[in-house]
Amino acid sequence: MIKTPAYIHFVQPGLLSSIQDLGRFGMAVYGVPYSGVMDRFSMTQANYLLQNQFYDSVLEMGGPGAKMVFEMPTRVVFAGADADIYLNDKQVKAGKILDINEDDTIHVRKFRKGQWLYMGIQGGFESEIVAESRSWYSGITPQSRIEKSDSVCYLSEERFYPALGSHAKMNLNWFKHGEIKVFKGPEWDQLPKLTQNRIMKKSFTISTLVNRMAYQLEETIENEVEPILTAPVYPGTVQLTPNGNIIILMRDAQVTGGYPRILHVENNSLNILSQKRPGDKISFSI
Amino acid sequence: MDIRIFRIHSKLIELVWPKEISHDILHEQQQVKRFLEMEYAEGIREIRMGFNTLSLKLRIEISEEDCRDILEEIYQLPKILGTFASKIWKVPVCYCTEFGKDLEKLAQIHQLSIDEIIKIHSETVYTLHFYGFLPGFMYLGGLDEKLFTPRKRSPERSMPVGTVAIGGKQTGIYPSESPGGWHAIGQCPVRLFDISKEIPVIPAVGDKIKFEPTTREVFVEIKQLSHQGLYIWHHD
Repeated sequence: MIKTPAYIHFVQPGLLSSIQDLGRFGMAVYGVPYSGVMDRFSMTQANYLLQNQFYDSVLEMGGPGAKMVFEMPTRVVFAGADADIYLNDKQVKAGKILDINEDDTIHVRKFRKGQWLYMGIQGGFESEIVAESRSWYSGITPQSRIEKSDSVCYLSEERFYPALGSHAKMNLNWFKHGEIKVFKGPEWDQLPKLTQNRIMKKSFTISTLVNRMAYQLEETIENEVEPILTAPVYPGTVQLTPNGNIIILMRDAQVTGGYPRILHVENNSLNILSQKRPGDKISFSI
Repeated sequence: MDIRIFRIHSKLIELVWPKEISHDILHEQQQVKRFLEMEYAEGIREIRMGFNTLSLKLRIEISEEDCRDILEEIYQLPKILGTFASKIWKVPVCYCTEFGKDLEKLAQIHQLSIDEIIKIHSETVYTLHFYGFLPGFMYLGGLDEKLFTPRKRSPERSMPVGTVAIGGKQTGIYPSESPGGWHAIGQCPVRLFDISKEIPVIPAVGDKIKFEPTTREVFVEIKQLSHQGLYIWHHD
């Protein structure tokens, strides 16, 4: 099968757009974050629908606005956030495999629900592999996010695809519920019982401090827990700062931290949490 | 040895030592790490270090009972599992008020002259405990308590690459440009992190670091060499 390198040209980059795969492992001991998609569930869905490898890289978008033109034919599929997506001005659905022709334009407009939208592409993207991963991260890969008029490489493959009778009905409600499953973190037991109860009973609001490194919650929890000596942290580590702020570390989190690690978010719940937007409510359950 | 084991979930556990920064703990951490890597290589995905922790990310699921068994095994380890050769790396630093924007303020705070601060900082031999914070950032133990300085209330927006600084009871070098709340006392011209290398750093955990004061001229020379990939690290 002949594969030809081709480019997607970004007329508009959208918000926090980057190429991500499952992440970069084995470099954390040198201080390099794992990175990787914020929502693995949606990435996996996109790759599955395209019959890609489960680890193939995808385009991650953290908000509306991306407008891109394809140089050559390929197939793409959207998953994750519920957004208004247009292929040459015709609205298209998430979960549907889109046959892309030369010079086709995709425009991502409004985000209705969710924080991160994924576009999988036939065979994944061909961006540079650094330390065994294509995930973009500042200082590690040449770029950390897509800028206006950037181009990203993919392999166009001339191939006959049988018409698909139906397409996967995407359930866009899987991240709707606010219950986040957690485990006790190493410093949980240093919290007084009363504080522990408060944290488990309370409903929290996602603040506007939301990015690939961490999500901060709006409500604060009074506490007198001592800072710890710098120790390893992971995506999913829940930190409690001396001012009572709760910070949930996400995929681009630093590898060590000095705030008490009170909880640890379970893997599937981390995908759900990543799709929460500022103002959304969550609660923890052990 | 005084170690606790904490199981966060079936694939993530942590060994915890008493809350202090010490050579003895580092040595024990290295011993335990070596033992686990030899004994349980297939089961372990990654072992990471903190000052008083070893964090184990596993490939397999383990129970609370398995954790107790592992701890038992660790306690039965012979006292010395071998020595850990450690090199003393000489790291050039240009201490001056141009790079060390907080040198004068630090001198005031501690009632020392700038020369005295440089002397104390550069005569100490530091121990590399682990990497964290930023790619290639070394967590060093051993800062002289005369130089302990609380972090800035609000961090600087940008610390230039190579900035040598003091924060709290620690000292370190910013391996890349970054916001930071530590007090700048100089700059190191050597590149500390190179992702194109299989091992992107030079000093290994357990190695020592000694800062060597350099002139502005030598600083510029080394910076050029390092930029071209021609700088050779020196150690005792």
